[in-house]
Amino acid sequence: MPLRGTCKGRSELQLFAPTVRAALAELESSQPALHRSICDETGALRRHVNLFVNHAHIRDRDGLDTPLSPGDMLIILPAVSGG
Amino acid sequence: MPEKVILSIGTKKGHFIAESAKTRRKWTIRGPFAPGVAVYSTLIDTRGAPKILFSSCNPFFGMKVLRSTDSGKTFKETKGAPAFPKDDGRALANIWSLEAGAGKKEVWAGVEPASLFRSDDGGDSWELVGSLSNHDHARKWQPGNGGLCLHTILRDGNRIHCGISTGGHYLSEDGGRTFEASNTGVGAGFTPDPYPEFGQCVHKIAGHKDAPGRLYMQNHGGWAEWEGPGGRRPDIGVLRSDDHGKSWRSIAKGLPSDFGFPIVVHPHDPDTVYVLPLEVPPRTSPKGAPAVWRSEDGGDSWRRLAKGFPKKDAYHTVQRDGMVIDDLTSPALYFGTTTGQLWMGRDGGEEWECLYDSLPPIHCVKVAVV
Repeated sequence: MPLRGTCKGRSELQLFAPTVRAALAELESSQPALHRSICDETGALRRHVNLFVNHAHIRDRDGLDTPLSPGDMLIILPAVSGG
Repeated sequence: MPEKVILSIGTKKGHFIAESAKTRRKWTIRGPFAPGVAVYSTLIDTRGAPKILFSSCNPFFGMKVLRSTDSGKTFKETKGAPAFPKDDGRALANIWSLEAGAGKKEVWAGVEPASLFRSDDGGDSWELVGSLSNHDHARKWQPGNGGLCLHTILRDGNRIHCGISTGGHYLSEDGGRTFEASNTGVGAGFTPDPYPEFGQCVHKIAGHKDAPGRLYMQNHGGWAEWEGPGGRRPDIGVLRSDDHGKSWRSIAKGLPSDFGFPIVVHPHDPDTVYVLPLEVPPRTSPKGAPAVWRSEDGGDSWRRLAKGFPKKDAYHTVQRDGMVIDDLTSPALYFGTTTGQLWMGRDGGEEWECLYDSLPPIHCVKVAVV
């Protein structure tokens, strides 16, 4: 669980943000090490990182502009790849 | 504490430390550190208390630099890694070179996409060196097969030589404030102009403190049979400069191939230089028989060193930072292969033995006596 090491071992964080993009912006200021791990310097999501809002991949919604509602779970998962 | 020889080894699956007494008879190895993540660059910084740094370039979660202050027993992530300014538009893809600078805690990093970074606090914070990273040519450089990487940083007082694949050799004579392409005599096989101003696929550059104007370059050779525009380009792969890199000439005559990646200079003799020729195009040992080649006259003639290597059926590839030489009185060479073998060549490469034969694919090896 390498991402948890960037936020003091926590597995969940509570955010107040209307969209995925806003949630990432909040992470950039509150959890910069975690943000660096999932986004590059340009702000783009890293190639092997997938974001889900509840069970829906954000690519199947509105990407980074996918809206968030109170109680939604934004899940960060690495893609399956390697060798 | 008795001196020991330390090898810092970057592999596709993490970082390893091998160490031995100065006899180099018995080795122990530990690791992997940062397991599972590729390590393309490492530095054993022997200024003051020894420090070992390596880059850990995780395709999932980004780039890190790790540092050890206990001779490689433990490593901790530095406070920061090189990163482009937010509005730059480029994103760090790999760290290809870590080199000590002039200042006590000064460290330089060459990265992909080809750019230069500098740290003044031992690797905790990094600043983009715009004079090269934002050079007028920078947006015209192109990636080679390994990516668009700045892989060589060679310092000689206020002069800084940088090697870029595919960009060529860039020289600063004012401590890095300005850089100019310096490729006179450096050929390219993949452009209609055989000697362009820049854009060459330089593989590695090496020098020697006792011959500051002298440089050796392993360039992307293998164009002797080229039939396209501009004609054949034999012997452009192994080069020498005697004027601080302002101009270059071929020293490839006598080698079985002018293609290869590393080039290494003997620590006590600037006339003695080593290359590891590879067959074109498979990029493996010629005819399946590995050999290091040594010149003791600055490249005028070459001798094959193969005692201890398999005589057949061995197809080594050694990457640009995969071969080094220690600085003991009778120095040993070391190289790591992409098939995970770590070899040592005693007495300046006269006799070879395989120290480890099943490591992960090896990207880089550095050595120091500490």
